[in-house]
Amino acid sequence: MDVTESDLPGVGKKHEVDIGGGQQLVVVTHNTGTRELYLKESADADSEKLVELSDRMARMVGTILEGAYFQPVESNHVETMLSEGTLLEWYAVEDDSPLVGETLAGADIGQRTGVTVVAIQRGDDVIAAPTSDVEIEAGDTVVVIGERDNCEQFEKLLAGDL
Amino acid sequence: MADLLGVGVLFAAVAVATLVAVWLNKSVIPFYIVFGMALSPSVAGQLSVAGYALPVVESSEFVELGAELGIVFLLFFLGLEFNLDRLLERWGRITRAGTIDLAVNFGAGLALGFALFRDPLAAFLIAGIVYISSSAIITKSLIDLGWIANDEADPLLGTLVFEDLVIAVYLTIAAALVAGGSDLGAAATSVGVALSFIVGLLLLARYGTPWFERALQTNSNEFTVIRAVGITVLISGVALAIGVSEAVAAFFVGMAFASTSHTHKLENLLEPVRDTFAAVFFFWIGVETDPRLFAGVAGLVAAAVVVTAPTKLLSGYLGGRAYDLPPRRSMRVGLGMVTRGEFSLIIAAVALTGAGTSLSVELANAVYSFTVAYVLVMSILGTMLMQYSAPFEEFATARFGTE
Repeated sequence: MDVTESDLPGVGKKHEVDIGGGQQLVVVTHNTGTRELYLKESADADSEKLVELSDRMARMVGTILEGAYFQPVESNHVETMLSEGTLLEWYAVEDDSPLVGETLAGADIGQRTGVTVVAIQRGDDVIAAPTSDVEIEAGDTVVVIGERDNCEQFEKLLAGDL
Repeated sequence: MADLLGVGVLFAAVAVATLVAVWLNKSVIPFYIVFGMALSPSVAGQLSVAGYALPVVESSEFVELGAELGIVFLLFFLGLEFNLDRLLERWGRITRAGTIDLAVNFGAGLALGFALFRDPLAAFLIAGIVYISSSAIITKSLIDLGWIANDEADPLLGTLVFEDLVIAVYLTIAAALVAGGSDLGAAATSVGVALSFIVGLLLLARYGTPWFERALQTNSNEFTVIRAVGITVLISGVALAIGVSEAVAAFFVGMAFASTSHTHKLENLLEPVRDTFAAVFFFWIGVETDPRLFAGVAGLVAAAVVVTAPTKLLSGYLGGRAYDLPPRRSMRVGLGMVTRGEFSLIIAAVALTGAGTSLSVELANAVYSFTVAYVLVMSILGTMLMQYSAPFEEFATARFGTE
């Protein structure tokens, strides 16, 4: 893969990426953080501006392109492999989940599924290392660690299938 | 009107200028100048509507100091974005294109200046004024037209960087010559003082990095801005007090900060400060200009446009060729370099300080009015040439082929 980086004094940086078929993708990163995306049909063609993104937007699009936001596999949650077989997963708590209103102790998640709840995201807050008396609410995102089987068990428990 | 109301009128006027520029889709710099002229005592001061005098912005101490700060921050930014190491990496091509640009345009400027004003110092000033292209306007046009992602951006920006370096040295000498007057000994002394000061600043920029690094070491944006402004303005002020160009001092302070880890943060934080005071500077240029004097310099300006638009076209074209670009893109480099702007005006401001000493009042005013009119024409002509480049590109391809 051929990427050329060059400085644009007073503007920022330019990256040219060969994307095959003679086409080049040109990314201009301004000092302000704004990214401009251009397409060059061939090496000597003029650049055609595709889109302009703010710093934040560019990062989000970047993560999507990277595959971190969304992975094209059948999974409705984000998953990260910690080591062979052990996962760190995020689960959204639906309104109709039987766990809504239960405390972590009451739901007895550890005993029933084998996973450990390491954090609960509630709106903009994150309850890190929640104690056993924390109550699960609809709309929470529960972050758990466990073996793949255990995580699947937890997913069933959350959906009321266990 | 040196009170808050006057300053309010000033800022409101430059704000309206930005609206007009957006509406007409043109660079804002000429509009700052035109608005300044319109509100100056020599235009608005002469008019009244239904018996009421129009608001007039006079060149008060605030406006002059604001303009001075504008110059300081414009040059500070140049230094900040001036990465010597990266420049040296591509030194070969940049110097080739830059030297052609310098030789053709500075040479033409010297000849033209002498032919028009019959004075060596004026010729030297005119040479600088017609040599230096406008980084601000050209960069903005490059982005607007999407050329920034094309190959012509390299020689254009590279040559601008070379010009910036030349202008730092040039301003040192010009400011010293203007201050030194016609007395050869005094001029030599002031050039000597200026050059030693510059060498001192260079050493500071080269070896003072740890100090500059520590000076800005804080988590607070407020403290970063205040410290950077404190250091920059103080050093520039010292420079001016001992007769050295404040702009050059600011350039070197910028360079000193460029080798610290705070560069990016400073760019983001100080850009609004620069833009605010740069607007005051351009507005002040307008206020100081009496458009009635344009009539007297119209012939000179016309001659300068006819000579120096083609010289930039030529040197830019050759510069593009030095970067191994095909004729069509080299033509764009030529068209892109035509715009003159902020630096020519800074030189004009230097010329004005010599009125009555090294230059006769009449001559200083003529050089000043000439420059303002010239910059107005060239900033509009240059951006138009870039916008409507197609026929020039066709000509280049037809005449010189595609390779």
